[in-house]
Amino acid sequence: MLSISAISIFQFKNYSVRSFSFSERIVGICGKNGMGKTNLLDAIHYLCFTKSYFTRLDANNVQQGKNGFRLEGNFVLQDRPEKAVCVLRETGRKELSINEQVYEKFSQHIGRYPCVIIAPDDAELITGDSKERRTFLDSLLSQLDPDYLQQLILYKKVIEQRNSLLKLFAETGTKDLSLLDVLDEQLVKPGELIFNKRKEFLVSFLPIAKHLYQEIAQQPEDISLFYESDLLQASFTELLKASRQKDCLAQRSTAGVHRDDLEINFGKQLFKNIASQGQRKSLLFALKLAEMEVIRKEKHFAPLLLLDDVFEKLDEERISNLLRKVCVENDGQVFITDTNEERLTDHLEALSVNYQLVSL
Amino acid sequence: MQFSSALLENAVNEFAKLPGIGKKTALRLVLHLLKQDTGEVTHFSDIIAKMRSEIKFCQRCFNVADGDICSICANSMRKQEIICVVETIRDVIAIESTQQFNGTYHVLGGVISPLDGIGPDQLNIESLANRIKKEQTQELIFALNPNIQGDTTIYYIQKKLQGLSCRITTIARGIAFGGELEYADEMTLARSLQNRLPVESYVNSR
Repeated sequence: MLSISAISIFQFKNYSVRSFSFSERIVGICGKNGMGKTNLLDAIHYLCFTKSYFTRLDANNVQQGKNGFRLEGNFVLQDRPEKAVCVLRETGRKELSINEQVYEKFSQHIGRYPCVIIAPDDAELITGDSKERRTFLDSLLSQLDPDYLQQLILYKKVIEQRNSLLKLFAETGTKDLSLLDVLDEQLVKPGELIFNKRKEFLVSFLPIAKHLYQEIAQQPEDISLFYESDLLQASFTELLKASRQKDCLAQRSTAGVHRDDLEINFGKQLFKNIASQGQRKSLLFALKLAEMEVIRKEKHFAPLLLLDDVFEKLDEERISNLLRKVCVENDGQVFITDTNEERLTDHLEALSVNYQLVSL
Repeated sequence: MQFSSALLENAVNEFAKLPGIGKKTALRLVLHLLKQDTGEVTHFSDIIAKMRSEIKFCQRCFNVADGDICSICANSMRKQEIICVVETIRDVIAIESTQQFNGTYHVLGGVISPLDGIGPDQLNIESLANRIKKEQTQELIFALNPNIQGDTTIYYIQKKLQGLSCRITTIARGIAFGGELEYADEMTLARSLQNRLPVESYVNSR
């Protein structure tokens, strides 16, 4: 079991000095626009992943006109209290410690406090291009399987070299095909490994996501999810051979697992083209909740769940289905933000669970 | 930095171009030279100029040499039929320091990396292939860095040499000597397990 009992925030985004304590498993966070609801969630995310969910640059998270910030969270992991502290120094150096023990590598921390966040911009996962869905898949698989991450890094490096070589061919007008052969061989092993791991994982993951979607929708909607990959048709070696001429013309690698996608259909059409905003959002939740499910199985406890402004564009029925899923059927700690205090309390009351309200 | 002499400033700027030397260190070195006799400093600069202008690269292995052929290639005590392929001259020095290798070298001058614009043509690969054909080399040992570019280079050369009877090997990769398993990263440890050694040959090699 993982939970946060308190967090103190210093010079982080719009907060100068503020402490919150969380006594219940369900925490509702209410406040008007710009009061810092999302920033509070982001502070929690920071302590879990050592970075912001929203901005890449650490300095962007510092309160305006100040230097450095400090986040301190009191976690409870398997009944043992732990104090996690993340500090961005004035010099731009970031430090993270658990019980006063400073980490040498941030990567060692990732996975200690698993956490799933759902924010409004995540709809890109459904409507955006295939890159968004690959990133989702990659970050999930990397958390579960360190070897996957290694192979992915290797694959990306070889692809870069191969693309440069293809550009070089075009620029110089020469073709050293034996060098291309070598790079192709180097690409095949990590490529097939990534493909097999993705395929194996999605066989169990996609039915969970589909099932969750039906539960949120509460009516049979004919959606189907598949894994789309060039490698499903032929072996990677054959594919590289077949696409060689095309690659030379395009000056980049046109076949491989870097072009994989998760295809989502609604009836016989592409989901993103015809689904309503609410349906898209429901599917986003289904994918994220499936992610939570997989992490729970792996870690044997539920990850923290951060829901940012999730009620927009959902009908009442879907909201209550969703809340039942995350608050009643899930035993992990949940943080939910909303601008409308009344709506949030009404929904939480209806579930008859203990909850706590934080008003900003 | 403010200088009262343009001569001094020029000298400092030149020193600061060297790798690992910043402006302050450059100033310290120049001021040190300034304290010495003019003769000594002339001797110093002559030696450097002479080094650059007179040094040659071995026509056979591309190592640094005083003549057309380097002292390693010219040494008849060394096994001429074994070639160790390295990236740079620094690697030759590193392997020589082990005193474990008694063959000859071949300096590639880099590794294949299209990303950095380095293809096989820019490296001494053609000359290596010719050398192996001409000299009837028995074994080629690759001592390249264990990364993707190193691997690419090894595979490429190996492909090029197909059909020749030369044996091709590469240096072992795994747990460092005197290292501790606990602190080895997973990739290294996994690789060591994959390429494990029979105990007889391990004990004998120590």
